[in-house]
Amino acid sequence: MGDNYQNKTMAPVMMDYDFKLKTQTERSKVEDLFDFEGCKVGRGTYGHVYKARRKDGSDTKDYALKQIEGTGLSMSACREIALLRELKHSNVINLIRVFLSHTDRKVWLLFDYAEHDLWHIIKFHRAAKASKKSVMVPKGMVKSLLYQILDGIHYLHSNWVLHRDLKPANILVMGEGPERGRVKIADMGFARLFNAPLKPLADLDPVVVTFWYRAPELLLGARHYTKAIDIWAIGCIFAELLTSEPIFHCRQEDIKTSNPYHHDQLDRIFNVMGFPQEKDWEDIRKMPEHATLVKDFKRSNYQNCSLSKYMDRHKIKPDSKAFSLLQRLLLMDPNRRITSEQAMQDPYFTEDPLPTQDVFAGCPIPYPKREFLTDDDQDDKSDSKARQNQQQQQQQQQQQQNNTQQNQVQANSHDHVANNAKRMRMTGPNQGNNTGGGGQQEFHQQQQMMFGGQQQGASNQQQGNFQQRF
Amino acid sequence: MAGNFWQSSHHQQWILDKQDLIRDRQYDLAILSEEEYQKIFNFFASIIQVLGEQLKLRQQVIATATVYFKRFYARNSLKCIDPLLLAPTCVFLASKVEEFGVISNSRLITTCQTVIKNKFSYAYGQQEFPYRTNHILECEFYLLENLDCCLIVYQPYRPLLLFVQDIGQDDQLLTYAWRIVNDSLRTDVSLLYPPYQIAIASLHIACVMLGKESHKPWFAELNVDMDKIQEIVRSIINLYEMWKSYDEKKEIQALLAKMPKPKPAPQR
Ligand SMILES: Nc1ncnc2c1ncn2[C@@H]1O[C@H](COP(=O)(O)OP(=O)(O)OP(=O)(O)O)[C@@H](O)[C@H]1O
Ligand SMILES: [Mg+2]
Repeated sequence: MGDNYQNKTMAPVMMDYDFKLKTQTERSKVEDLFDFEGCKVGRGTYGHVYKARRKDGSDTKDYALKQIEGTGLSMSACREIALLRELKHSNVINLIRVFLSHTDRKVWLLFDYAEHDLWHIIKFHRAAKASKKSVMVPKGMVKSLLYQILDGIHYLHSNWVLHRDLKPANILVMGEGPERGRVKIADMGFARLFNAPLKPLADLDPVVVTFWYRAPELLLGARHYTKAIDIWAIGCIFAELLTSEPIFHCRQEDIKTSNPYHHDQLDRIFNVMGFPQEKDWEDIRKMPEHATLVKDFKRSNYQNCSLSKYMDRHKIKPDSKAFSLLQRLLLMDPNRRITSEQAMQDPYFTEDPLPTQDVFAGCPIPYPKREFLTDDDQDDKSDSKARQNQQQQQQQQQQQQNNTQQNQVQANSHDHVANNAKRMRMTGPNQGNNTGGGGQQEFHQQQQMMFGGQQQGASNQQQGNFQQRF
Repeated sequence: MAGNFWQSSHHQQWILDKQDLIRDRQYDLAILSEEEYQKIFNFFASIIQVLGEQLKLRQQVIATATVYFKRFYARNSLKCIDPLLLAPTCVFLASKVEEFGVISNSRLITTCQTVIKNKFSYAYGQQEFPYRTNHILECEFYLLENLDCCLIVYQPYRPLLLFVQDIGQDDQLLTYAWRIVNDSLRTDVSLLYPPYQIAIASLHIACVMLGKESHKPWFAELNVDMDKIQEIVRSIINLYEMWKSYDEKKEIQALLAKMPKPKPAPQR
């Protein structure tokens, strides 16, 4: 290399040869330390995620290796590394190590492996619902999930970090192991320090939050991201956990538009929430797209819409604690929306069942493990041994663990395209109309099966064993 | 990450021990005197500063780049990577982390070229800025590796603003202290002390310079290790002393010539 510069460009030697050699020998390569070939489990806009094991067998834990899309250090890679390096909270994904591959200029991030995520979990419940099956989960699961999401976000927010891309696919849940059933907030690629905004945030990344989880003020052209925007997304996730339906589901064609204003998404929100009253959101008049809003929408079209009616249709009673918290998270006016801290103090969390550290509360985990993705041409052909082995192993484990019913549902979910978080599109909920008792709320339905009737004694015991209080 | 300095990688990994720092510099200090070594860093801090200003970066970003630069050479000899390459690489990386928005590769190189030509010809003569984008990108990996991926750097500016507010807003005082914080980047204090202590020390010097006796009680009431503050004050005052009898324009070429340099692969 030194030769090159000297001869061709006459540049001085940029780097010392001995230094280069020394760092080369000291640097460990990700492929020397980890087995992961053919074990791709995730593909997002910003990278490929592999399930990995240590080659030296010094532990048999699973790890997640994220290969960042493209080469070199993009701005979002820099942000992700910079922030994850500093963040430490039990509900935020833990960055263990960074590998820089100098030869192909790839960046790899090593994380703890999280077997589940809310996108797959909700999808599993929807599939079960569609085939009129029920899923056994502890009755406090949704509450435990929400509590831990709030805990993680509270940590981020109190460190002046906004997530900005909260959606079910980015909420991971740990599988069997010492952190069983623990929520891990992931995908901080877009997270940004916001205590010293340099540029209006909207200028940096044209599209940040998937529209379904986008707060109304963003859709109306708000120039700055705020904590309240993350809170809205959490409200959406909470509603989705309660009903298994994305609450603000909306047909989305062009996700890459740089225009924040999105008529159909706003229409969907008003269809659920009703059109905001002046007194409910005074500053709505100050929103950049307010004029467009006035031009495009008629209040009278949404006269009969309200969150309580929507949730009632989905079997969540307007007088329940869950509903009252949801309503405080999904306030249209960002200034009135509660903070993560206030949310954590909500009576919902002190009402029985109490949230547990293991969201599965010690019960068997009904969800399938992650599948290896094979939709990549290369992967398809080079059916590597590693993948076959891992997949076989996985299936065996799964068969031991799970009943046949859930394997069926798992078979339904071999939808690899849909696995891609960016392209994900849940089959639209049957707009507005109630699909009947078939399983509107599996998360709750199972509570009767699990903790109902004669099982009372056993369940108490189980609670004693597993329900660790926060 | 404001408000969490004590849990930060900055506090846990990058507040270095003075003895360790001196030991790690032995290779360079066998070739350069301590003063020469400082003058060389002073020069590259200027390059980073001017580059940052040309690129319209905030002072916070420039300061972060300067700290990256210092951290790299705290662990490595000047010969490992040409500082003329590392300096713009630090600016490039810091601007991405601090989210000013990406500086395009071509803009970075062009700015380096004009800055070296127009502002630092007293050091480089007719010599052009010799590096291209691929060099910066390669260097960036080495930089990140040597920083151990610790990219968030706490700076004295924010605590300084809070302290001045606490004393009772005084724009003149703030302006002076702010400049002193900038100057402190040319010393080792950012490697040795937490930023809030550097802010207090800078404020202290500013008060003395401006003869603001009335603020004395404020310092007396502070619950800080005054010995540390004094050490920082001394480092900064030493810098000012050095500047008095130093003409960079005359001396820097000789210093750069003397500086340890990367050695190419042995010729076969
Ligand atoms: N630690 C982990 N353990 C297991 N699976 C993971 C882990 N991290 C990510 N994944 C899987 O990989 C997918 C993509 O990861 P991630 O969200 O970090 O990437 P991304 O490219 O930033 O995604 P997005 O498209 O959502 O912006 C996730 O949705 C998840 O299914
Ligand atoms: Mg994601």
